[in-house]
Formats: sequence, structure tokens, C-alpha cells
Amino acid sequence: MISFVLRRLASAVPTLFIVVTISFFLMRFAPGGPFNLERPLPPTTMENLMRTYHLDQPLWRQYVTYLSNAVTGDFGPSYIYHDNNVAQLIGKGLPYSMELGFYALILAVVGGVIAGTIAALRQNSFLDFAVMSVSTIGVTVPNFVVGPVLTLIFAIMLAWLPAGGWGDGSFRFLVLPMIALALPQLAVFARLTRGSMIEALNTDHIRTAKAYGLPSRAVVITHAMRGAMLPVVSYLAPCAAALLTGSAVVETIFTIPGVGRYFVLGAINRDYTLVMGTVILIAIFVIVFNLLVDILYGLLDPRVRHD
Amino acid sequence: MADTTDSILTVRGLKVDFSTPDGTVEAVKGIDLDVHAGETLAVVGESGSGKSQTMMGIMGLLAKNGMVAGSARYRGQELIGLPPKALNEVRGSKITMIFQEPMTSLDPLYTIGRQIAEPIVHHRGGTFREARKRVLELLELVGIPEPARRIDSYPHELSGGQRQRVMIAMALANEPDILIADEPTTALDVTIQAQILDLLKSLQQRFGMAIVLITHDLGIVKHFADRVAVMRRGEVVEQGRTPEIFERPKSDYTKMLLAAEPSGRKVSPPDHAPIILEGRDMAVEYAIGKGLFGGSSTVFRAVDGVNLRLRQGQTIGIVGESGSGKSTLGRALLRLLPSSGYYRFGTTDISGFDRSTMRPLRRELQLVFQDPYGSLSPRLTVGEIITEGLYVHEPELSRAERDRRAIAALKEVGLDPASRNRYPHEFSGGQRQRIAIARAMILKPKVVILDEPTSALDRSVQGQVIELLRDLQRKHGLSYIFISHDLSVVKAMSDYVIVMRNGRIVEEGQTDAIFEAPREPYTKTLIGAAFNV
Repeated sequence: MISFVLRRLASAVPTLFIVVTISFFLMRFAPGGPFNLERPLPPTTMENLMRTYHLDQPLWRQYVTYLSNAVTGDFGPSYIYHDNNVAQLIGKGLPYSMELGFYALILAVVGGVIAGTIAALRQNSFLDFAVMSVSTIGVTVPNFVVGPVLTLIFAIMLAWLPAGGWGDGSFRFLVLPMIALALPQLAVFARLTRGSMIEALNTDHIRTAKAYGLPSRAVVITHAMRGAMLPVVSYLAPCAAALLTGSAVVETIFTIPGVGRYFVLGAINRDYTLVMGTVILIAIFVIVFNLLVDILYGLLDPRVRHD
Repeated sequence: MADTTDSILTVRGLKVDFSTPDGTVEAVKGIDLDVHAGETLAVVGESGSGKSQTMMGIMGLLAKNGMVAGSARYRGQELIGLPPKALNEVRGSKITMIFQEPMTSLDPLYTIGRQIAEPIVHHRGGTFREARKRVLELLELVGIPEPARRIDSYPHELSGGQRQRVMIAMALANEPDILIADEPTTALDVTIQAQILDLLKSLQQRFGMAIVLITHDLGIVKHFADRVAVMRRGEVVEQGRTPEIFERPKSDYTKMLLAAEPSGRKVSPPDHAPIILEGRDMAVEYAIGKGLFGGSSTVFRAVDGVNLRLRQGQTIGIVGESGSGKSTLGRALLRLLPSSGYYRFGTTDISGFDRSTMRPLRRELQLVFQDPYGSLSPRLTVGEIITEGLYVHEPELSRAERDRRAIAALKEVGLDPASRNRYPHEFSGGQRQRIAIARAMILKPKVVILDEPTSALDRSVQGQVIELLRDLQRKHGLSYIFISHDLSVVKAMSDYVIVMRNGRIVEEGQTDAIFEAPREPYTKTLIGAAFNV
């Protein structure tokens, strides 16, 4: 087990290196730069800026410098947010995004699994149809629509919840963004669970469990659910990484000071270092959660146990 | 009509219907059965006869689109229409079941100990910890070695035979009145099959439960059952004591089933017939358990130093249980997988041949597989399937000529030539196997390797396919390598038999010599298991 974890962590190093390298050069080959504004800067100012940020050096040298600094935890200055470097920006925003993402993840998993299970147990009934319709809406309606609609109903018309902001960080402020963030993922979990549950309920060993007179609660929960959770658990890793690193749309609509905006804003502004920082952050989350999910998978399924 | 004096399970007018998109399918059409205390009743029939669905219907285990009607009384209690809660009191306690698929009938995510304990805890109360002692006893009883260690194993860590023993332990846990065994040995090797049946018999003598044995295999029935009910198309065509059914069958269908045991022999080719295919010191190795960083690996020898000489017009039967290397040997002979040794086809040394150098020879070396469902592409018409090889080997043929050959090939295997525009799923298993044979025959091969060609078929269909293969051989002077675990089929097909085990030849010789006077203990066990279960 320990050797499995160590091996996986060791293999994360080359993965990260490749991710960093590809995104570094992709960014640089994209047209424009951090200081190409709508109103062009005077050439001397431009030259000064380029020198200050070492953008006048050959590309390979910038790359080597970036890599060697990044290893020590220095992700460089942001070109747009002058008061903070990239590490500080992410350090400030990440707790907000993670807290919101954590609640959204819980909602998505618990809600999705319950809805999917009910749909599977009542396959082709009205209830199944209803759950699947709602989940289709969840997948297809983008959260820049869901967010404002939620705000309109619950914050403005009913005035139950605040319309946005973090406030004092109490749960009231998190409810609407959490729902907007969780809904598409909840829909995916519901569909995944329904599909794998239907499959699990038709297996031979479920027939065995029924033939031995086990009550349907035991058949469903002990035997069908555990097997049906395997594909759901696989999806957990990319989903958790996506939710915990914030969403640009949801954070913008609900004015949440998280890190989700940085990826989009950084890319639009050609804020090279900020984009790189966000990419590395997301990559690390994906790697860590994939590892956690693989361990969890082994606990659920003895056939793939890593010993 | 069976007598009802001491019937503990009385089935009257039982019907099972399935609603399908094409309308209602009547799987069981109102049958009567009686199970007496302590007896073994065999319900015999071919696939689709409704024998399994009868039991599934009684036990409330039908698929969602299935409906059961009629009456099934267990010691006076009506089971049909019983609410699930009340039915669950009977299922797994008074009436238990074991199934055909020991591989999938156990939950892969729980230890076998926990799964055997589940019905005990559920029906008798108590905790899993308390049930553990009883589980150990049961494992001992069904002959699982080292029960104390095995109790915490997962199903995938056990062999097929051991899994079936685990299922039997589960079935016995609550000392049932009736044990329903649905094709309990069909998925197992012959020697394991005999062991499982012996186990069931001895447990029955000890505990006195009735056994309902659902099977297609009359060989098992003869040695195992007290009474037999023969089913066909959802009806019981004949019912009676086993010796009566075997000695004086009344219905034509029963007579046909009894006669369907493969019979007849083929005429051996002369001793001086030329050798058409030869393999010497054949070996196939696989590396297993290789570490991520290329750590130490173990070599598994699937085929280990086998010699074989096939003469023109001859059939060599290769017999062995699963994992004996018989299929691998067939593929090695056709140079379909990396193998070492010396190989000769006709007068050509093909030892060092690769894909491209083998290609011109391929048309003369054909292969027919076991699974007529998996080996035909579902998206091609039968005509396209059987003429595909012609595109490779005779690309110059005109469309009309290809069609003409397809018609001839289908006629030859006894199928309606008009069927060449239809798709494989429209055919039965036996017809599909004929299509697979037509696909090989259209190329006019010299050697055909038949890898379990009849194992997926019902007995009556099996006999027809064997007959077809023998006819084709006589007509075209073909040479066969016939790979099978089914000894009665091998006996009817082969001139010469090779018995394999763990990749090596245990014994070989003329068919008569092997079957009548086997020398090796393993061959004796195999033959004993196959013919006197």
C-alpha cells in the first residue's frame, strides 16, 4: 500500500513537468502579451516593463528560470494584480473556493447517488422519468443561467438568502452558489448511479441474494450499491478537482473572492504567471484526487486491491 | 399425473409469461410437478424448454418482464403471489438454490465467509461473528481445504469448483427441505463436475433434503435422479421414474433426446496417408506477474514440449480440462501466436513464418470457434461473413462468382442459401455454427482446427453438427484437429486422441485404445467422470 502511494507520487513529478512545459509554451505562442492593452503603451514604457519582468530574455531562459523558481514555491509576480505575487493570490483565494467546492461536492454526490438509486429502483416509472428529466436540465442549462435565476427567486423575490458575496462566511451566503456549482455535477452523478445501479441489480449475485431471502434493503444497500458505486467513485476525482479549485462563472455571479476567476482572467489578460499558477494548482488537485480515488477503489473492490 | 401422497412441493398449472416488445412469450405453459421429501427430481430439457424459468417463477426470481400464474404449494403454503416478506421466510431457509454460473453467482466484493453467513444471520438471527463457527463447519462439510484460511477469501481467489462448493455451503446453511440446483455443473470441468455431484449426493444422504436438478445433461440424470420430468417448449412431455424413462421412453421427444448422444465412428485414413501438418517440441510461454519496473517475472508454460502429426483425412482429438493448453496448442499450430518448435505444413517448413509469409497458406488452414454468438460479426450479413475470406485469398473473383460460392457453401452446410442476406442474430446457435463452418469451407481448406465447436450447443443439435463435420471430411478429404473437453463428442469424431494436462501430453493413442484401455490414472479419471457420473 505504502509503496503503491509512493510510486504514484513519484510518477506525479513527470506528469506535472509535462503539464507545466506544455502550458508554458502554449501560452507564449498565443498572440498578444500581458502589456498589449487596447491603447498601446509608449515604446520606452513597454521596453521597461519587458525588462522588469524579464520578458525580453530568450524564451528557453525564461522557461528555465520559471521552472527553477517554481520548484522553490516561487510562481512569480502577477502582471496584472501588481500588489500580489501568484502564490499570494492563490493562497488568499483558495480557502474560499475550497470551502464552497467542498459543500458543493457533498451535495452533488449525496444528492446524485440518492436520486440515481431511486430512479434505478423504480426504472421506467414516473419517478425515474422525473429524476432523469431534472438531471438533463442540470447538465444542459449552464450555471450562468442557473445562478441568476436562483438569485432572482431566493434572494430578490423571496429575500430568504443573500444575493452574493462571502459576508461573514456563514452558511447562508454559501447556499445559492453551492447549488449553482453542484447542480451539473449532481446531474452527472445521478445518471452514472442510475446506469450502474440498473446493471448491478441485474447481476447473478443479486439473484443469489434474493434467492436466499435477504430483505430488499440488504439486497440493494449491501450488494447492489457497493458494486454500483465503482463507476461513481471513478468520476469523483475529476469532479472533486474541478469543484474545489473554483468556478469562474459561479464565483463571478456571486462575487466570491475565490481562485476560480483567476484562470479565465489570467488567460484573457495574458497574465502568464497567473495562468501557470492556476494550471499547476488544478493539476496537483487532479493528481491527488486520482490517487485518493484509486485507494478508495481498492477498499471497495478486493479484486483491484494494491498490496 | 404424479401422485401427491408425500409431495412437499406441489406445482399445478404453473405458467410463466414474458412480455416482450414482440408480444407475450409463453415460457411455461401450465405444468404440473411434484417434489417428494428426500428424492431427487431431474427436470430435463434443452435451452428454451422453460425448465429454469419454472423454478425462477416459483421462487419469485423472474426478470422484471416475467409473470407467473398457477399454483406452487410448499407443504401446503401457496408460494405464488406470496408477499415478498413471507416469501423471504421460505427462500434461503426452507428452499435454497444453487446456480449454473459459479463465477458470477457470488458477490465479488465480499468474502465467502460473510456471504455464507448472510442467510444464517438473516433467517436465524445472531451476529456475523456468531455465525462464523457454523460457516467453518459448512466449509469443512463441502470439502473446501483449509476452511480457517479460506473463510476470508474473496470469490475471485477460488476456482470454479470451489465457488460452487461455497454456493452449496450457502444452500445447506439453514438445513433446507428442498435444494434447487440449476445446471450446477454445466460450467465446470468433467472431473470437477463428478466431484460436485458426488458431494451433492452424499449431502443429500446425510441431511435428507429433496433435490430438484435442472439440467440438459442426460448422463447426469441417469446416475443422479430418482425421477425425471422431461420439458419441451414450456410443457412437461413425460414424467416418471428414472429407469423407466431411460428404458421405456414414451414420448418421441424423450426418445430423440436419448438418441441424441453422439454416436457412430469415423473411418480412419490409411496408415500411409501423407502427413499434412506437423509440430515438434511445440512450446508457448507467457510471462506473468511482471513488476512495474521490470521486476522478476514468472514464466507460465501454456504448452510445453508437445509433438503432433496430422495425416490427410485424419482427425486428432485433443482432450483436456480448462487450462490444459489445448486451445493454445491449436493456435500455435496455426502460427497464430508466438511459439517455439518446428512446424511443417505439407512439405513446407513454416517454423519461422510470420504474418505475411503465413497469409498465402491461411486459406488451407482454417479455424472454427466454440462460441457461435461471439465469433460472427453482428453487423455483417451471413453472405458477407462467409465470403470475407475470398476477398483476401481470391480478390479477382467477380461479385456474381462470390455469390455463387456463398450459395454453394451454405447448401453444403445444410442452410437455405436465401439466408445469406440475413444477420447472425436471426439464427439459432446450431445454425450459427453451420455459418461458421461455411465460412471455413468456402476457402476449400486442407486442415480445419475445430475448437470446441459443439460445446455451446444442445445435445440434439450437437449430434447434427458432428454429422455434418464428418460428411464434409469424407467428401473433401479434410484433416481435423478437434479440440474439446467433451469426451463423448471426441469419441465420435476422432481417429487418434491426445490427452493434455498442464500444457503437456499425458497420454495419446488410437481412439479405441484410449477409451477402452486408458493407461494413465488421469485419463482414467477423465473417462470415468465423463461416462459414469
